Order: sequence, then C-alpha cells, then structure tokens
Amino acid sequence: MGLLKHAAIAGALAASVGARGADWELALDLRAVSSDGRESFLENGQGKLRFDGEHEGIQLGRLRAALDQPLGETFAAHLEVSAWDGDDKNPLDLTEAFLEWRPYPRSGFRSRVRLGAFYPPMSLESRARGWETPYTITPSAISSWIGEEIRTVGLEGQVDWLGTRLGHAFDLQFTAALFGWNDPAGTMIAAHGFGLHDRQTTLFGRVGAPQTYPELAKKELFHEIDDEPGYYVGAQVRWRDRVILNALHYDNRADPAAEAPDIRDFAWYTEFDAAALRIESGNGWTFLLQALDGHTAIDPFEPLTWTFDSQSLLVAKRFGAHMIAARADAFAVEFEDDPAAWGSEDGEAWALAYSYDQGGPWRFALEWLRVDSDVPARLGLGQSPLASESKIEFSARYAISGSL
Amino acid sequence: MSGRPEKTGSRRLFALGALAALASMQAAGATLAVTVHQRDGHPLSGAVVTVEALSPALAPPAPVEAIMDQVQLEFVPDVLIVPVRSTVLFPNSDAVSHQVYSFSNARRYQLPLYRGKAHPPITFDQTGVVTLGCNIHDNMLAYIVVTDAPFFGRTGKDGAFGAGDVPTGRYRLRVWHPSINEPEVERVVEVSGDRASFEIALTRDLHPAPLTGRPHSWDY
Repeated sequence: MGLLKHAAIAGALAASVGARGADWELALDLRAVSSDGRESFLENGQGKLRFDGEHEGIQLGRLRAALDQPLGETFAAHLEVSAWDGDDKNPLDLTEAFLEWRPYPRSGFRSRVRLGAFYPPMSLESRARGWETPYTITPSAISSWIGEEIRTVGLEGQVDWLGTRLGHAFDLQFTAALFGWNDPAGTMIAAHGFGLHDRQTTLFGRVGAPQTYPELAKKELFHEIDDEPGYYVGAQVRWRDRVILNALHYDNRADPAAEAPDIRDFAWYTEFDAAALRIESGNGWTFLLQALDGHTAIDPFEPLTWTFDSQSLLVAKRFGAHMIAARADAFAVEFEDDPAAWGSEDGEAWALAYSYDQGGPWRFALEWLRVDSDVPARLGLGQSPLASESKIEFSARYAISGSL
Repeated sequence: MSGRPEKTGSRRLFALGALAALASMQAAGATLAVTVHQRDGHPLSGAVVTVEALSPALAPPAPVEAIMDQVQLEFVPDVLIVPVRSTVLFPNSDAVSHQVYSFSNARRYQLPLYRGKAHPPITFDQTGVVTLGCNIHDNMLAYIVVTDAPFFGRTGKDGAFGAGDVPTGRYRLRVWHPSINEPEVERVVEVSGDRASFEIALTRDLHPAPLTGRPHSWDY
C-alpha cells in the first residue's frame, strides 16, 4: 500500500508541475530514384541497393513517427514507428521502443539506463533522429548492416564522465548491455553480404519480401533461439565536441547448433568489433572513419563460419544549410570453409551527396551511389558474379514536431 | 555601481553648480578601460572582466533579477554575469521540455522537467563559475558567473570592457572566458586620475569554440 501511495503522490506531483506531455515527430521522406541495380536483396536477389532497376521513379523513402513521453521526473518512453515499403510484413512497425532512465548528473557523472529495443551506441554516422545519417541518403555498408540485422533487445547501462563540464578537455563514456532476441543476426550477411541501403529492419518485420524458397530462413531477425543472453561493452572518448572515438565489442553468445523451426533459422553465433572516429572542425568539415570486423557461425550438421569486415571513410563539408559529402566503403565476407563458394563476397562503394537542411520542416538531398561487388552467389541466379550498380536518388523530407 | 554624489547647484547659480558637479564627478573616480587580446593579438570578445576592489574595499553590487532563457535548444545568453545573491529565472521558450542542472561547486541545483511556466528563480549566493547543462539535450551549455566585484562586464567585439566612476584605489582585474586555456588571468592595478587603461594579453591559444549551427535534428 505504501508503494501505491508513493506512486499516487509521484503521479499527482507530476501532473501538478505540468509540462508532462509527450513530444512527437512526424516525417515523410519521398524519393525519386534512377537505378540500374540488380534485383535487390530485398526481393531475394543479390543486388546491393534498396531500389533496384525495377524500383525506379517515385518511391517511399520512409514514413516515420516518433514519440517521447516523460514518465515522472527522470524516466521517459521512446517509440519509433516507421513504414518503409508498401509490401512490408507490417505496414507500420517499430524500429526502436524503449524506456530510459536519465537521473540527474552528479559530481560530473551522468548515467543512463535503457530497457527495451534500441541501437547499440556504435554509429557516429547515424546521429540524426530516427537513426538516420545527416550526410548522405544511404548510410555506409557498416551502418546499413547494423540497421538491417542488429538491435539490442535488453538492458543497457551507460556512464559518462563529463570532464568538459569540469574544465577538462575530455569526456569519457562506458556502456555495457545484456540482450536477447538477436540470435538470427548474421543470417543476412551470410545470405547476401553487405548492402548499401537506409532501410532499417523493424522489430516485428522481416528483411524485404518473403522468401522465394519456403525452406529458407524467414528473414526475421529479432528472435530468441537458444535462451542465452548476449552482451556488448563499449567505450567512447570525446575531445571537447570536436573528436569522438568509439569502440564496441558485441557478442550475441548464440549457440550455433540451436534452431528455431518457426522462423526456419538457426541461432547465428555473431561476434564483432566496431570502431569509429569522427573529427569535426569549426569551419564545417567532418571526417568520419569506421571499421567493423567480425564473424558469424552456425552448426547445422557441421560448423560453418563466415568472417566479415568493412571500412568506411566519409568527408563532408557544411556551408550553412548546405552540405556536400563523399564516402568510400570497402566490404568483404568470406565463407571460411570454402572461400570460393557462394557466401563470400568482396566489394567497394562510393557515394557523393548534396543536402540542404536549414532547420525548417524540409530537408532535400541528392545522392549518387555506386557499388562494385564480386558475389559468387550470383552464379546461382544465372548472373555474372561481378556487378557494378549505381543509382541517383533525390530525397524530399518533410518533418514536423510538437508537444501533446 | 559606486554612488555618484548629487549635484549641489541651484538654478540661480547654474554655472557654478555645474562646475561643482563636474568637480565632484571627477573626484568620484576614473573611467576604466580594459582590453583583452588573444595570444595572436586579436581582440577577445565575450570575455568576462571583473574588477575587484582591494583597497579601499567597496560594497559588493546590489543583487539583481536576471534571466537565462532557453531558445531553440540553446541557453540564451551563453554567459550571464550576476552579482552575488542575485536570482536567476530560467524560462523555457522552446516547445520541448528542458531539465536544467548544475553540478558546479558554486551552485548545485536541478530544475525538474518543465515547459512553459518557469520554476521559481534560483538564488546564487556563492561566487564562482556555474556550468549549466540540460539533462535532456546533452549539447546545451551555458555559464553563470557569480561575482562580488563592484565592476564587471563582458568585452565587446573590440575586446574592450569599460567602467565609469571607479574610485582611486587598488584593484584586481580578472578575465574569464570558457575558451581560455590558462588557469588564472588576473592583474593587480592601481587606478587614479580620471582615466585608466589596461591591456591584458593571453599567453596561450584559446581552446576551440563549441561547434554551432548544426541542424536540430542531429542528435549529437
């Protein structure tokens, strides 16, 4: 009863201070696309792009709604709902949903606890709302893969030492998380390798169209298969607000022999290290280096292992509301047991983008992207393994926000 | 800040009175000018200059009611100087909620989440620099400089700060700016006559200024 009373008082206090309403955002991002991409991985092809040669013209980039609801003084609930394509499993679905506890900083330390489904803190590129990149339309191969296969469904704790607020030049951050429901992570990298796309897999959705072959995995990624939690630990060093170095070690600790017949998938034992360095200058330059190195394995009848790695370099220059960005990506997947077999790949990507964002409701962006890749699995589709795909994409995004 | 003697002239003896007033104003003190230069010689604008009276001791300035607003996810102003025991009101001109805190020794406090109606003002009764943050928007940063100096202000674009009616005496000039990269910038000076000018040059390069102008949809 005492607890109930406290809750009632807290609730009454919360209501009396006012300003407890939720903050919301709504954004519609439409695209005009010209693409010569091979049949997309989203259509069960081996093309690297989201919009292939059959998906040109006006396309839905993303319809996004976000809600931020304070719960009492230091708790808040965050919801991210998106629609990506007309033929998604769910027309509207969650990409993130979590409760956050943000106690007041004390003596230079700030802590955060998140419970729910969210991205691990590893991308210094996806810094805009909705885990989008502000530099280009299409994120790096690394961020594309994270958006496709990785989500923390669990509990994360983070501690920041706010040195710069105490007169020092550095801030430090440490993160640790325990999670489940990410055992299929790795399925997609083995099936089609890296893609270059801005589509984030939703929590209850799948990666693109249903499987052509019913015996293959359902491409649903957020499931618990072996009842073993995974973990990640991360650290970040910030020099003032100019330089950020981030490192993360992720291990889903999956039992590669465990199976989930309902989604026709295994528990993919996936472990990776990711590092990112972002340098910003006072006159609008950004340099962003990212690297990812990991492996994934299943053990259906014998152990099968894929190693993967990717590197990315982005240079951007902002001129007031205008920004130009150039990025180069390299990516590779190697099927350990037979590097010549399907399941390995090697590729590079280049992107050039211009964007206009004056802080108002509209954001416009124009991007040229080219991906060259050598994917032996294309032989199985009667294609040549080597492909050079490119697209030009224009994005017009209209976003509004307010408070309830 | 220091009291200015009242004119004693009468209508009939206007000229005489004016002269007397002029004389008494001169006796009241000097016009003080302090110019702050960066290491490379460029003027440092926005620097906080405080003029502490060493001898004779002068009464600290009267407390004021000041405002630190929040506009488009930034504190406005970025630096506020107030006499000790002043109160500061923190309105929120944004549509979103803010949660303002300080863990500086000079004044630790936190303002529960709010939007619209401001909390009661906070009293700053200890001198020092108070660093402000927002627990919702990690990039928000501002400073409140609490001082008991009888004269204070910020330098303009030309790096200059001026004060009038500074009585003859010995003073400690202190310069503070969030980007200054040296522990204490201070100088003890003698002020006499009707004008006193001082140049203060920093010996180290400034820290880089915080990045500004990023679209608000960027998280960090």
